[in-house]
Amino acid sequence: MNWIGLYTLMRREIERTFRVVVQTIFSPLISASLFIFVFGTVVGARIDEIGGVSYIVFVFPGILIMNVLTSAFSQASSSTYFAKWARTIEELLVAPLSYFEIMIGTVLSAVARAFTVGIVILLMGLLFGAVQMQSFPLFIFYILGVSIVFGLLGIITGLVAKSFEQLNVLSTFIILPFSFLGGMFYTLDMLPEAAQKVAIFNPFFYFVDGIRFAMVGIHDSNLLIGAIMIFALILILGGTVWRIFYTGWRIRE
Amino acid sequence: MDTTPALEIKNLHKTYGKKKVVAVDGISLTLPRGAFLGLLGPNGAGKSTLINCIVGVNKITSGSIKTFGFDVEKDYRESRKTLGVAPQEFNVDIFSKVSSTLDYVAGYYGLRKEKREKRVEELLDQFGLQEHKDKVFSELSGGLKRRVVLARALVHVPEFLILDEPTAGVDVELRRELWSYLQELSRAGKTILLTSHYLEEVELLADRFAFIDGGKIVAAGSKEKMLAGGKKLEDVYLELTGKNKV
Ligand SMILES: Nc1ncnc2c1ncn2[C@@H]1O[C@H](COP(=O)(O)OP(=O)(O)O)[C@@H](O)[C@H]1O
Ligand SMILES: [Mg+2]
Repeated sequence: MNWIGLYTLMRREIERTFRVVVQTIFSPLISASLFIFVFGTVVGARIDEIGGVSYIVFVFPGILIMNVLTSAFSQASSSTYFAKWARTIEELLVAPLSYFEIMIGTVLSAVARAFTVGIVILLMGLLFGAVQMQSFPLFIFYILGVSIVFGLLGIITGLVAKSFEQLNVLSTFIILPFSFLGGMFYTLDMLPEAAQKVAIFNPFFYFVDGIRFAMVGIHDSNLLIGAIMIFALILILGGTVWRIFYTGWRIRE
Repeated sequence: MDTTPALEIKNLHKTYGKKKVVAVDGISLTLPRGAFLGLLGPNGAGKSTLINCIVGVNKITSGSIKTFGFDVEKDYRESRKTLGVAPQEFNVDIFSKVSSTLDYVAGYYGLRKEKREKRVEELLDQFGLQEHKDKVFSELSGGLKRRVVLARALVHVPEFLILDEPTAGVDVELRRELWSYLQELSRAGKTILLTSHYLEEVELLADRFAFIDGGKIVAAGSKEKMLAGGKKLEDVYLELTGKNKV
């Protein structure tokens, strides 16, 4: 392994992220605060407890994980898209970095940004009294697993997108519908029966439910299936990205 | 002494895209260590494509390329370590400061912090970039951009330097500086491949020439042989390409 090379790749990405700190850290923070404010103070006051906790404590893990996965995704997709668009990817291709190292470096930078956003939102949640923590190791497991999955998905999206518009559209299509149908705001039994049957095929549902279990201690889904799903997605997406780098699809002409 | 050639290209073919645009059409070429090759040919001849295949930016359609015995596809990491490339088209992060650009690339080649800092300083001095080191790439003039790309190619002190039209759009001063610098590197035993539109430049620097046209080598040989009888490179070039403008 070219450790210094790998480290440099990450350092570069992280420095790039902090060059646009308003966009990368503050904007998720603001959107999370609005969610907390609206659901905690405005709507939350009119909603009964769910699973024995106040509504804001119930929705907070979902708000957190959504921002974590969006951050991982947009870090990896924008970094990949711009490296291709500005041809700076050639700088990596001509260097003695393996395709595996390039992939790991990109994913780890996505994880780093996702963790930073996660920590900032967690602190924010503490201020609003929205945070409970039943199992910190499980919490880390879900944050890490989900950000790796979305980092990999981001790389693929960054390569697939042929224009800046496509990049935005793909991001919206991948993240928005799944996230709103992923049980961020409700428990499974609040859904109509047909929707319940569909929800269990939505991976977001397991991510939200898993992190909620780690924090609040209540869950709807089969946690084992959720964990297996995370591992399986990492393997499948990781294999796909590795294969793409190796064959040079959309990377080397 | 190790006699593995610095570059060994065997029957290289390269086509682009679904339309199969033929850019390189069966090139074989061997460069011994320490050689200084001038690669010449009209626009669209396939020079940049050939270079991009050597350095790993392009995929090879068929044939093989080795640098110092390392296959550029199979042993790509070993091969990359031996190469330094200054591409024709700028591919530098336009938001990155000059010093950071050099520092990052030094990192990709595995240089530690102290070594990186020392090397970046040397290059900033050498290429007259010291006063521009905190500017981002997009703020630089064309000539300064070219300097950055050249400095970047040399960060890891490569054995084999590949320069694709390094003096295009560059002022006379840098051109002269670069010439003497390349001569110095060549004397120190480095292998160099240079493409250029300035024939007098290639004639001055290179010790052998290869002419390509339509993706094929149409003539190649040592300076002695090709310029025998006091011929000028320009005459040879015009004869070979049948064109009156480079
Ligand atoms: N990315 C590309 N896609 C399709 N065709 C290309 C591409 N790059 C170069 N070509 C074509 O390949 C041929 C060789 O181009 P190039 O290697 O740039 O020549 P040179 O560097 O000698 O001017 C030309 O016909 C050019 O149009
Ligand atoms: Mg060219």
